[in-house]
Amino acid sequence: MDLTLTPAEAAFRTEIRQFLDSELTADVRRASRLNTSFLAEPEIGLAWQSKVNQRGWVAPSWPEEFGGPGWSLAQRYIFDQECEMADEPHFRGASIKMIAPVLMRYGTPEQQDHYLPRILSGEHFWSQGYSEPGSGSDLASLKCKAVREGDEYVINGSKIWSTLAHRSTHMFALVRTNSEGRKQQGITFILIDLSLPGIEIAPITSICGTHEFNQVFFDNVRVPVAERIGEEGQGWEIAKYLLEFERGGSFAGGLLRAMHCRLLRIASRPATDGTRPIDDPLIAARFAEIATDIDANDMLELSSMSKVQSGGNPGPVPSSTMKIERSRIRQSITELTVTVLGPAALEWEPQRPLYDLPETSEAEEDIRAAAAIYFNTRSQSIFGGTNEIQLEIIARALFS
Amino acid sequence: MDLTYTEDQQMLRDTVRRLLAERHDFPTRQAAVTSGDGRAPGLWATFAEQGWLALPFSEENGGFGSDEVDLSILMEEMGRALVVEPYFGAVVLAGGLVERLGNPAQRAALLEPLIEGRHLLAFADVAEAGAEVSATKSEGGFTLSGRKQLVLGGAAADVFLVSASMPGGGMGIFAVPRGTEGLKASAYMLADGSRAARLELDGLSVAQSDLLGANEDAMTTIDAVRDRAVACLCSDAVGAMEAALDATVAYTSERQQFGRPLSEFQALRHRMAEMAVKCQEARASALLATVSINAEPSARIRGVSGAKAKIGRNARSVAQEAIQLHGAMGFTEEMATGAWFKRLFVFEQLMGTTAQHLARYGAEITRPEVLSQSLLQAPAEG
Repeated sequence: MDLTLTPAEAAFRTEIRQFLDSELTADVRRASRLNTSFLAEPEIGLAWQSKVNQRGWVAPSWPEEFGGPGWSLAQRYIFDQECEMADEPHFRGASIKMIAPVLMRYGTPEQQDHYLPRILSGEHFWSQGYSEPGSGSDLASLKCKAVREGDEYVINGSKIWSTLAHRSTHMFALVRTNSEGRKQQGITFILIDLSLPGIEIAPITSICGTHEFNQVFFDNVRVPVAERIGEEGQGWEIAKYLLEFERGGSFAGGLLRAMHCRLLRIASRPATDGTRPIDDPLIAARFAEIATDIDANDMLELSSMSKVQSGGNPGPVPSSTMKIERSRIRQSITELTVTVLGPAALEWEPQRPLYDLPETSEAEEDIRAAAAIYFNTRSQSIFGGTNEIQLEIIARALFS
Repeated sequence: MDLTYTEDQQMLRDTVRRLLAERHDFPTRQAAVTSGDGRAPGLWATFAEQGWLALPFSEENGGFGSDEVDLSILMEEMGRALVVEPYFGAVVLAGGLVERLGNPAQRAALLEPLIEGRHLLAFADVAEAGAEVSATKSEGGFTLSGRKQLVLGGAAADVFLVSASMPGGGMGIFAVPRGTEGLKASAYMLADGSRAARLELDGLSVAQSDLLGANEDAMTTIDAVRDRAVACLCSDAVGAMEAALDATVAYTSERQQFGRPLSEFQALRHRMAEMAVKCQEARASALLATVSINAEPSARIRGVSGAKAKIGRNARSVAQEAIQLHGAMGFTEEMATGAWFKRLFVFEQLMGTTAQHLARYGAEITRPEVLSQSLLQAPAEG
C-alpha cells in the first residue's frame, strides 16, 4: 500500500498544472474566490467550460465514446484536486455530472446523440427538477403531473430548488404519470425544454444574497413523448441512479484544501497590534482539527477509489460518510473564517455577483465575501440528500 | 497509489480474528486481566507459534520482514479483541527500537529470545516530564539515576530499555536487565487492565556495551520508532472503535423497549450512524498513519500525529456513545463495552495525548507549503 503516484500520473499532474497556470486567468480565479454560491456564475463557468472543452477535459468521468478523455480514476482524482486547488470556477453541475450519466445509461441513441455533445459544448445548460414545494426529502411524494395526450405529455404543477433554472436551457424532471399503487411506481423521468410555452420561472433569493434557486411553474406545458427517459413509470429507478452521482460526484478534497489554505491566509494576517489569529491556541487547535478532518476524508476517498479500481465496491457507508463530512468540513472552515474575522465580517454587500465590484485588496475582498460564503455553506448539509437522509442510509446498512 | 489489502493480508486478518475469538473471548480476557500478572495463560506462546512476535522484524533479524500494513492488521485485531498481552510495549515499541538502534550483537541478544517468546522487553520512554534518567560517565561505562513513570509492558519485562540524557548531551538508550542492582521496578495496572511499571534507578552501573548502538544521539531514531508505534496504536484504536459500534448495533437490535427494538428509534439509529461515520474516518486516518510511517519526517508527522489527534477525538465520542446506547448495561464490567471504552481512554493518553499530537500536527500544517499538499506523493526521482 502506498500513496505514491506513478511516473505517468506525476507527469499527468504536471500537465494539468501547466494548463491551469496558463489558462486560468487572474480575473477568473478572483471570480471563483468571490463566488458566494455553490456553482460559478454561468458567464464565468461557461467561458471556462469552453476553454476546458477545447482541451477535451470538460467531462473527466464520461466514457471516451461519449466524449470523455478516457482517464483512470486516479487521473480524474488528480484533475479534480488540481482544478479545485487552482480556484477553478465550478461549472460541472447538473449538466455534466447528473443528466449526462442518466442519458448514457437510460437514454436512446437519438437522445444521446442530440444532447451529450451540446452538454459538452455548453450550448445546453441543465437544471434539476426533482423537488417540489412540500415534497422535501420525501421525493416520492411529488405531485407535478404529466398526462399523456397522443405523442405528448401535458405537464401541470411546479418544481422548486431548481439551481440556475433561470439561466438554463433545459430541465430534467420527475413527473407523476400515475397516482395508483405505490407512490414510487407512478413516476416518470422527462426532459423539458425551458423555452416551451406555459413555463414560468420565479426566483428564490438565498440567505447568502444570491439568486441561485428557482421555483418553476408548468401550465399545460406540452412535451413530446420522445423526451421521456426510459419507460413510463421507471422514473424512480432513474432518479436513484442520478442521486448516486449527485452524492458521489460532489467536490473532492481539493476544494476543501483550497478553502482551508485561504482560511490560513486570512488567519495569518497580523492585526494592528501585530498578533495573528492563527497564534491563538483555540483558533490554531480548531484549524488543525479541520485539517485532520480533510485528511481523513481525502483518505476515505482514496481508499474507496482504490477499491473500485481493483474491482470492488466501497458500499453506501463510505459515500454517505463523505457527503456528511464534506458538508461539515466546508461549514467548519467558513464558520472559523468568520470567527477569525469577527466584527469585520459584519458589513453586508448586497451587490451580486461580487466580482462585478471594483477590485480592492485581497484582504478586503476576503472580508467582503466571508459572511455570505458562510451563510451559503449551510446548504451543503441540505441538498443532494440531507445529512439526516445520509445517516438513515448508513443506519440501514448497519442494521441490514 | 494502492490502498487495498492483498489476499495474504486479508487472510492474515481473518486468521488473527478467528484465533483471538477462539482463544481470547471476553470472559477469558477478563479472567486474565484480574489475575495476578494480567496475562492470559498460554496466549503469548500462541503468538510466538503463529509468528506474530516475528512479524514486524526484518528477516535479517529473525523476523518475517512483513510491512507496516501487516502490523496494522494485527494491531487492529488486538484492539478489537481487547488483548492486554504486552505486544505493543515489547514487540512494537521496544523491539522496534532495538532493531533500528542496536548493533548486530545487541540485536541478536535481545530480539531472538523476544521473537521466540522467551523474554520480554520494555521501553522506558523519553517523553515524560519529571520522570527523567540521566547518565554520568563512570569507570568502564555509565551510572544511571532517575525514574520512569509509565513503562508500557514493564510489569513482565526481562530487559528494560532505559532512555537517559547523556553526559555530552543527546539521548542514549541502555539495556538494563531486571534484577540489576540499583533498579527498582514496581508493576501497576492501567485503566484498561494492561500492566505497566514504574522504575527507580539509583546509581545503577551499566557498561558501555549496554548502550544501544554507537555513541550518537538516539533521539531521531526514537522519534521515528515512536511515530511507528503511534501508527500501530491508531490501528488498535480503530479495532476497538469498530468492535464497540458492532456491539452497540447488536445490542440495540435485541433490546426491546416500549414494545420494539431500540434500533427502530430514529434518534438512536442516527446516533449509531454518526458512530459509523467516525469509525470510517478513523479507519481512513489510521491507514494514512500506516502508509506515512516510512515517509520523510514532515510527511510522517503529518500522517501520524494527524491520525492520533483525529482518532483520539473520534474514539472518545464513539466510546461514550457506546456506553450511552447500552444504557445501564454498558456501565457494568459484565459487558465488553466498558472495556473498549477504557482502552480508548488509554489510547488517548499514551505516546502523546490527543492535544499534544494536534499541536504537533498543527505546527506542520500551518506551513502553507505543507497545507497545500495533497496526500498523493510524487515518485522518487530517477
